[in-house]
Formats: sequence, structure tokens, C-alpha cells
Amino acid sequence: MAETAIEGRTELRPPALVQGEQDDGTLNKTLNAFIWEPPRRGWLALLGLGLAGTGLLSAAVAVTLAKGIGTWGNNIPVGWAFGIINFVWWIGIGHAGTLISAILLLFQQKWRTSINRFAEAMTLFAVMQAGLFPVLHTGRPWFAIYWLFPYPSTLKIWPQFKSPLMWDVFAVSTYFTTSLLFWYLGLIPDLASLRDSSTSRRARIAYGIFALGWRGSARHWHHYKIAYLLLAGLATPLVLSVHTIVSWDFALSILPGWHTTIFPPYFVAGAVFSGFAMVLTLIVPARRFMHLKHVVTPRHLEAMCKVMLLTGLIVAYGYAMEHFAAWYSGNEFEKHVFFFTRPRGPYAWAYFTQMFCNVVVPQIYWTRWGRTNIWAIWIGSLLINVGMWFERFNIIVTSLHQDFIPSNWAMYYPTWVDLSLLAGTICFFGTLFLLFLKFLPAVAVSEIKELNHEIHQGHAGISLHSPDRPLHAGELEGAVR
Amino acid sequence: MRRFVLGEFSKPDACVEAARKLREGGVTGLDAYSPYPLHGIDEALALPRSKVPLVALTGGVLGALGGYVMQWWMNSVNYDINVGNRPSHGFWTNIPITFECGVLLAVLSIFFGSIFGFFGLPRTYHPVFESERFRTASLDAFWISAETEDEQAVGDLEGKFKALGAHKVHTVTESV
Repeated sequence: MAETAIEGRTELRPPALVQGEQDDGTLNKTLNAFIWEPPRRGWLALLGLGLAGTGLLSAAVAVTLAKGIGTWGNNIPVGWAFGIINFVWWIGIGHAGTLISAILLLFQQKWRTSINRFAEAMTLFAVMQAGLFPVLHTGRPWFAIYWLFPYPSTLKIWPQFKSPLMWDVFAVSTYFTTSLLFWYLGLIPDLASLRDSSTSRRARIAYGIFALGWRGSARHWHHYKIAYLLLAGLATPLVLSVHTIVSWDFALSILPGWHTTIFPPYFVAGAVFSGFAMVLTLIVPARRFMHLKHVVTPRHLEAMCKVMLLTGLIVAYGYAMEHFAAWYSGNEFEKHVFFFTRPRGPYAWAYFTQMFCNVVVPQIYWTRWGRTNIWAIWIGSLLINVGMWFERFNIIVTSLHQDFIPSNWAMYYPTWVDLSLLAGTICFFGTLFLLFLKFLPAVAVSEIKELNHEIHQGHAGISLHSPDRPLHAGELEGAVR
Repeated sequence: MRRFVLGEFSKPDACVEAARKLREGGVTGLDAYSPYPLHGIDEALALPRSKVPLVALTGGVLGALGGYVMQWWMNSVNYDINVGNRPSHGFWTNIPITFECGVLLAVLSIFFGSIFGFFGLPRTYHPVFESERFRTASLDAFWISAETEDEQAVGDLEGKFKALGAHKVHTVTESV
């Protein structure tokens, strides 16, 4: 009887987080292999594509700066359009990185270890794209410093701190700084290991400079562990505040479709939803081509799908509540937005794209098949990225284009500059990401080594056998629980 | 001239155990080096409690105070902005930026406090790097160092390291 119970438990054990018999040496080799090998053709081709798109971005930025934002499709009443959609979309994508690196660390979710570096890099690059849009949207960014930062100019004018747009400036710049420093602190031990395993003098010097002379001293680790944990603890409320403040850009106005109290939680959930979709979109091909399947296992992908399903359900609840509140308020302008403009107006196709991608698609992750089939994961995550972009399109453009007075209504159409800015930032993001994959460890090697050690140690702690005996797979898995 | 006796261990537990025994045996100037934080090394080396949280708290409180005072002084003292006759000093509307400034200063003080203050980095030279073999400290081996000025003590220390199971023992001298 007891034996069957034990067998039953064995079957319920989740698969190992680090697969195969790994030690520090093999982890060093396999995780950093992509850095040391010569660049592959596929990587070069993608980089070329990314650089071409970055060129397009530069052209679109140059046109915007030279001629002004009249080159965009924005009009009255649609004063905010692609610029703000793209800003919210990119910053939302960034949030998954912080969730993975900070919140999952505090919750001691060990599966985060393999993907946190990757996701943090994604955060940084996404926030860089996001930051571009409001700056360009000011029209004359070289003047924007007077109203965006409390800079003591001879004009003696200070920013208006009661505006949510100012809160945004502080939130996004704090978020970027925190993400950058958190990422860099995590990188230092790995840069030191790259310095020490490099074979060429040039690489040794380059990685040596960025490793700052780290020698892995116990006296440093002692402070490092606490610094890392505190940064995670600070990043957690920060990430919630950032998207809350982004949602206040809308919710504090009186426009129907924007003026809702549910915006902060619904925006935060949407941000995490889209961010996890982006992590999956990137990691599914990366783990294959960079041979990282032993540390980014199906168990990791499954866990990410579950987070997507959960946040997707919160987002769906947000949609339902928006519609309910519009109906329950009895306000005709509210009802007009939610029951006429969005589902039956000229942008209805965008509304149904949003609903299909964000509400219907994630439901496949209820099934084990959806969470384990690599194509279901990848295509699903791509669709969610698209859906989340259209969500912001509907919130911004659809709400604005038919506001209170019918004589004020107008359609919005993007220009080539708008489209190039969107496509260009996607390519610029891709370029930065490809460079990151090639030159920096995409997986937190030192943290994986620690996890691997804990797995073995955890086993040794409960073992009745001699520790010298090699472990077999089942035992290793048991220790991960 | 500073000398460092370095011992390499291949297992983390052996390294922690050796560090503990060396400290208990009265060896001073000890440090350990590893690719990832070692469990139990803080106790083995009897390291005092880290002051990073204190630095973080100070930075956070100063940042939040500074952020609040900045908004109050700029918008209602130095240049009073009157919008629809609302009070120029709005407590609630000051909260988001106060929070962000608190987090920003806390993060900056943790990061730069750790790097410059607690780690003493960046540094271009440390005697332990005199040993080419020491490269493994960031890869897959665990090292202990004992610092001494006394040339006579070196032989004795090397013997102790070997007795504790170090499979490589090096002595490096600081180059001037």
C-alpha cells in the first residue's frame, strides 16, 4: 500500500528545472556557448533585418523632428493615437520582466531563475522604445525638458506636479533606472565568469571592464544577496505603480471609455499578460537556436502559460466590468462608447480582434495540450501581443474619435510615419535583443549554478544514502519540488 | 607587502567547512571566493550583519522627503500655479511622485552604496588575480584566502590549507 502511494507521488512530481546531470563546468559551457561561437548566419540575417528597420525608425524620427507631429495621423478629436498606443504597449511588455525577476523572486518561484535575465533585458529594451514616443509626441523635445523635469531654468517655471503626465515622467524614469541597475547587479558575477573563461585578450579586457573587478568574495556576496533582495522588494511596488500611473493618464480625464476606476488593476494585469506573451514569443525560438532547452524546460513554458491564462482572465473581467459599469451608470455617452462605437462603429474590426486575441485565445491554456505544444504557445503568444496592441487602440482611438458632440467626430488614419515608428521600434527592439543574446549571458549563469547546487543539496539533505552515489533522474526531480 | 595564501576546493561544503575551521584555528584575514553565494559561509567567517538595509532605508526616506518638499516648494511656494482656484498645495496629488522619488533614491543608494562602498569596486587590481588559476573562482571552484604580512606564517598556512583538503595551494604577493 505504502509503495503504491510513493509511486503515485513520483508520478505527480514536476519535471526538473535543470535537466540532465549538470555541474558548474557543464553549465558554464552550455549556457555561454552562444557567446563564444562565431555568429551564425541566421543571427546575422536577423540582425541585418533589425538594423534595416532601425534605419526606418531613424528616418521616421527625423521626419517627425524636422516637420513636426503634423506628419502623424493625429487630428482633433483624436489627439492621442499611435504615439500613446505604442508607449502603453511597450511599457506594458516591459512589466513581465520585472514580474519575473522581482515578484517571482520574492515568492521563491525557482523556475524564474532560467528566464529572469532574458526577461529583464526585454524590460529594458521595451522601456527604451516606450520612452521614445512621449518624447517625440511633445513635438519639440528640445523644449520638453523645461516642462518634464524640475530643471532650474531662467524662465523660473516649474513642472505642474498635479498632472498624471508628470507622474508618468517620474514613474517611467524611475522604472528604467531601477530595471537597469537591477539587471546590471545581476550581470556582474556573470560578466566576471565571462572574463575568466574568455580565451582572447580583447574579450577578457572588455568583460573585465564591465565586471568591475568582481572576484566573488564571500564578503561581497554577503551584501550582494541583501542588495539584490531589496532591489526586488522595491521593484515590486514600483512596477505596480508604473502601470497604475500610466492608466491614470486616461482614468483621470472625463472622457467616456477612459474615466473608469477599474483602470489601474486592469492595466497592470494587461501589462503582465502582454509581457509574458512577449517573453514567450522570444524565448520559444531562442531556447531552440541557442540550445537552452536543458534550463528553459517545458515546465517553464507551462508555468508562463498559466500566468498568461490568469492575467488574461483578469483582463477579460476588466472588459466585462467596463461594459457593465457603462450600462449600469445609465450615462448615454458611456453607453455610446461601449455599446455602439466599439462593437458597431467603424473600428469594430479592431474591437473584435482585441476580444478574440485577448479573451478567446488564452483559453487554450486551460488544456495541457495548449501549454505544452510549442506551436500553440508561440502562435498564441503572438496573437496576444497583437490583441494587446489593439486593446490600446480601442481605448485611445475608438474612445476619442466619437466623443460628446457629433459635429466634433472624425476618423483617424495612421500615416506612413506612424506605421514606420511602430515597425521601426519593433526592429530596434529586436536589434538590441539580438546583440544582448550574442554578447551577454542570456541566462543568469551564476543563479542557475546556485539553483543546481540547491537541487543536489536539497537531495543530500533528505537522503539516507551515501552522497557519493550518483543520483538518478527521479531523485533529482524530487528535490526540486 | 601583502601576501595571500590561496586554497582551491572543488566542493562548496568543503570550502565552507575549511573556512570555519581556519577561523576557529585563529587564522585572520580570511576570505572565500565562489561563483555563487555559498550557503553558511557568513557564519563560517563570522561576518557581521550587512548594513545594506540601513543604507536603503536612509536613501528611501530622504528621497521621499526630498520629492515631497520639491513639489510643495516648486508648485506652491516658489511659483504658485493657480488652476481654477484649487489649493496650490495638494497633498494627495503629491503622493505618486513622492513614492517614485523614494524608490529612486533607495535604489540608487543600494546600487552605488554596494558597488562603491561595500564592494570597493570598481578596482583594476587585486592580489588574488596574480594567480592565473584563480580564474576558476568565478567558474566552478571555491577558494579561500588568508592574508598575511608575515613571510614566516606562509608555510604554516599552506600546510593548514592542504590538511583541510585544498587540492591546489598558491601563495601570491601583491605587486607594487
